Amino acid sequence: MKKSNSITRCDGVVRRDFLQLGMLSALGMSVADLLRWQSLAAEPKKETSCILIWLDGGPSHIDTFDPKPDAPKEVRGPFGTIPTAIPGVRLSEHLPLTVKAMGDIALVRSLTHELGNHNTGRHYLMTGHRPTPVVAYPSLGSVLAKESGFGRALPPYVIVPRTVEYSEAGYLPGAYGPFAVGGDPSKPDFRVRDLNAPEGVSIDVEARRRNVLMALDNFSREVEEGPATLARDAFYEQAYKLLGSPAAKSAFDLKKESGATRNRYGRKSIGQGCLLARRLVEAGTRFVTVVDRGWDTHQDIARNLPDARFRGSGKLPALDRAYASLLTDLRERGLLDSTLVVLMGEFGRTPKINNRAGRDHWPRAGFVSFAGGGVKGGQVIGATDAHGEVPADTPVRPEDVAHSMLKLLGVDPHKEYIAPGGRPLKILDKGKMIPGLA
Amino acid sequence: MALASDSQARPSSPQLASPRLLIVAACFLAVVVNAAERPWHFPTDILPRLTQAGCNAGKCHGAATGQGGFKLSLLGDDPAADHAAITRERGGRRIDFSNPERSLFLRKPSRDLDHKGGQKLRAQSADWKAVRDWIAAGAPFGKTDLRVTQLVVTPAELRQSAQLKVTAHFSDGQTRDVTAMALYTTQNDAVATVGKTGQVTIERPGLGAIMIRAAGQVTAARVAVPFKRELIKDFPKPRNFIDEKVFAELQRMRIPISPESGHVVFLRRATLNLTGRLPTSVEVRAFIKNLNREKLIDRLIGSEAFVDFWTIKFADLLLLDSKKLGTEPARAYRDWLRAQIKRNTPMDQVARALLTARGNVTQNAAANFQRQKTDPRDMGEFVSQTLLGIRVACARCHNHPFDRWSQADYHQFAAFFARTRVKGGELVLVERGEVRHPRTEKVMSPSPLGALKTAKADGLDYRPALADWLTRPDNPFFARAMVNRVWREMMGRGIVEPVDDLRVSNPPSNPALLDALAASFVKNKFDLRRLIRDIATSRAYQLSSRAIAANRADTQLFSRAYLKPLPAPVKADAIAQATGQPDVYAGQPKGTRAVQLLDAQVPSYTLDVFGRCPRTDNCADPTQFGGGLSSALHLINDPTLNKKLGPAIAALLKTHRTPNVMLDELFLRTLSRFPNAKERAKCLKHIAEVKGTKEGWQDLLWALLNTREFGFNH
Repeated sequence: MKKSNSITRCDGVVRRDFLQLGMLSALGMSVADLLRWQSLAAEPKKETSCILIWLDGGPSHIDTFDPKPDAPKEVRGPFGTIPTAIPGVRLSEHLPLTVKAMGDIALVRSLTHELGNHNTGRHYLMTGHRPTPVVAYPSLGSVLAKESGFGRALPPYVIVPRTVEYSEAGYLPGAYGPFAVGGDPSKPDFRVRDLNAPEGVSIDVEARRRNVLMALDNFSREVEEGPATLARDAFYEQAYKLLGSPAAKSAFDLKKESGATRNRYGRKSIGQGCLLARRLVEAGTRFVTVVDRGWDTHQDIARNLPDARFRGSGKLPALDRAYASLLTDLRERGLLDSTLVVLMGEFGRTPKINNRAGRDHWPRAGFVSFAGGGVKGGQVIGATDAHGEVPADTPVRPEDVAHSMLKLLGVDPHKEYIAPGGRPLKILDKGKMIPGLA
Repeated sequence: MALASDSQARPSSPQLASPRLLIVAACFLAVVVNAAERPWHFPTDILPRLTQAGCNAGKCHGAATGQGGFKLSLLGDDPAADHAAITRERGGRRIDFSNPERSLFLRKPSRDLDHKGGQKLRAQSADWKAVRDWIAAGAPFGKTDLRVTQLVVTPAELRQSAQLKVTAHFSDGQTRDVTAMALYTTQNDAVATVGKTGQVTIERPGLGAIMIRAAGQVTAARVAVPFKRELIKDFPKPRNFIDEKVFAELQRMRIPISPESGHVVFLRRATLNLTGRLPTSVEVRAFIKNLNREKLIDRLIGSEAFVDFWTIKFADLLLLDSKKLGTEPARAYRDWLRAQIKRNTPMDQVARALLTARGNVTQNAAANFQRQKTDPRDMGEFVSQTLLGIRVACARCHNHPFDRWSQADYHQFAAFFARTRVKGGELVLVERGEVRHPRTEKVMSPSPLGALKTAKADGLDYRPALADWLTRPDNPFFARAMVNRVWREMMGRGIVEPVDDLRVSNPPSNPALLDALAASFVKNKFDLRRLIRDIATSRAYQLSSRAIAANRADTQLFSRAYLKPLPAPVKADAIAQATGQPDVYAGQPKGTRAVQLLDAQVPSYTLDVFGRCPRTDNCADPTQFGGGLSSALHLINDPTLNKKLGPAIAALLKTHRTPNVMLDELFLRTLSRFPNAKERAKCLKHIAEVKGTKEGWQDLLWALLNTREFGFNH
């Protein structure tokens, strides 16, 4: 886990700055781009939104969605399995609620790639691209933000609780980066800060101040207009739009939910994060990433996934409750068809248990669980071999996952953007629709 | 493609051979000739061809697990293993000595047999023939100790389309043309593209680079294509060597400079840049009466605020963090750092102290540098990144794909730090402790990056030898890395970006400028203040940030001053100073400014949302934290900020009795200038309209703190 945060960044030497290597024409493009989306009219239409539940660290496939009950003990691991409604398909015994929601789920069991570091794997899954030193690719959330624009009061791309590497805008203007809610939604004092005017500042005063601010910004001739100033202007505009909409602001307020609903999602960070995501999507946010850390289980899975000492605690039960409740809740509210829910992390984990009773990184096999947004539920796509080492059929690559997500979200994956330097880049240049997914 | 020197003996180059020789070659007699002239050498004769064809790329056989049961080392990392894989693995079935052309090793890539990777070697091509002849000669490895020490590319800099020529220098002194075997990658295909054999085509004006890789070495050719404009004659007279280099490159690229900045703009810029604070209204008024820029620079550089501000920059660089080090050692470390900045200790001595310190981590606080990482490999990465501006991390697992560092270089460098331990609050040296090469398992003797000889220990300690190397006047990295960082602080952009990634394939935007700055820094005995003063007094630093039509697109050659967003602590302090209402930080003495805080462990949502360096990882890209919508919301709604407005206005109204005087004061305190006519009219109208005068002024102060102009150092 530590490693991902260190300065090691081997095949992922990706920074916005690299793009500046020789892009004398960068400025013109960014300005035009920003101006264009600034003028986008506010016309919200019903589109498919996305909730990405990101299991940061790389979730073990064998201990969760791709168990191998018939494999030897050192592969099978410490957990039992339970059947689903799909004949022959079993999940970990610690996912009993998810099993019941299986009718909505298309489970891909044949995710495969080669990038076994957290940063590189994260880059691959978050952007659909292998990292390269010359282009900083945008996350899929940022792509959706760009496609949606800023017409609505809510920011188009929100991340709960905080950003992770490669969840940001890449070569797109910084404004398409995620809005981070900034705190753990399971904490009792959780609130998104600065959404309300401070005491003693009425709506009239706020309007009056804004008016002066706009005038002063207009009259000042000192600061050259450029990407940095335009991004700043765009953020202020978005801030005022958000502040001016009580409905939008209340989407961030979990206290508007009943205690029963909050309990149903589970009081852990991932549960309350998923509930917050549902509220945001309901109110018009296009893409919400819920980050759940701690899946880098190099040791002692029996204590880290479910905590064997305390029944119902640990990562897996929390995920089970959050994920299943989110799907059921979306269905009950009629939102499932217009909300794509994707559950994944950067890679799977080694089929063989290591000598610390954990599993290490294993990019060659992993899972992605899709639901909603037009996905055909109640099915498993692809399979790994007997020990969960490599796909045995229908290998699915990260670019296929990205391609399929964009397609389901109504974005042409081959659409071309102009990166700084005037360079045309397709959102994705590889990848295909996962067969049978929708 | 040209045959270069006579030592470049690859007579099987069929394009240039006579028809008769071609026939001879086809009958394998060339092999004999070949072997007689110069014995085959697998690492340099065969392997580069495979690299060029993409055989050992990460997505093909170079993948960690190979491809289709055939694994090669990534980009030809491990010639011995590759040779074994090709010639011996699977009972040698990949090679057919009796009939070389029937070898799987030729039939697959030429698609004579099915090959998932497609056609990589055209049958009868030069590469194909070379491989065939090599097999016919018995597929030897050749001399095991022969290696390429350097690649030289000509032209080293391109202004128009051209054919590159690449020469390899060998460890035995011979040179050879490897143009046809090298792998070429453009770093900016908007400016230049490159063909498989090194033919560069210019696409449009701008800067770029072509990275070249062959036989384990990497080099680059710079691409600098001038704009199609008249030559600019009216560059002002350079004030110092910096101007000479900046203007020369701009002239070459035909980019004009912006005019000189106005006086009060300069005052604001220099004060923010050198001391991290805004000028006070008194300072602005005084400067207008005495417009001496040099005197201002000297006063600022000599101030305590300068010491505070540059201490925090170095503390950010060194990731000084009390959570990791403990509060007391962290405080001692910060105080030590501050003392060095205050005394203007030469930076080579600072580096030496950091690298060689030992003993009690509170009494000899420089020893905390070594506590940053416990694993010698991590420490090697940290040292190279912070002090040398080099990212070696890739070479931990395989040779660096974009730089010259091999896995051996990496582990030899890490070995410097293998014998330090922290025991009971003391940094001590122990007798045992080593770094092994992960592949060969050989114990590595410490050796600086790029050095030919291994280092000698001083007793148990190899680190003094490292410090000697690092601070030598001819060290190619340390001075360049330091001046590049300082330049970025002052100018808003490094000559190399990112500033911790000085590598051959990431060339400087103005190489002569970087060289000159580094040379001057060394000549002046690593004098930090002198360097900062040289930059601040140059015309280049003092240009206006307003673009003119012909330099609007320039973002890296310094034809004007670039906008710099205020760093998080500077912005927080600026708000406190402009309102006269200091912030209160938990556990800190009253009046402590944000730039004086020990580290990011001191809680402050404002600083987090403005984007302070968390010091868990390097902050080479200061824009990667904070900002955005959260920051805008905070500036609009934060109660703490809003609570400053009332007292600020109440205090000011006591001494500033007319609206015009009051307005001047507010502008001077926030934007460091007087309002222009339109601004004045709008603001006075606002005051007249709002019933409670105090509230009207509060609105104005709030708005000024939220303006675009306030948030940038321009």
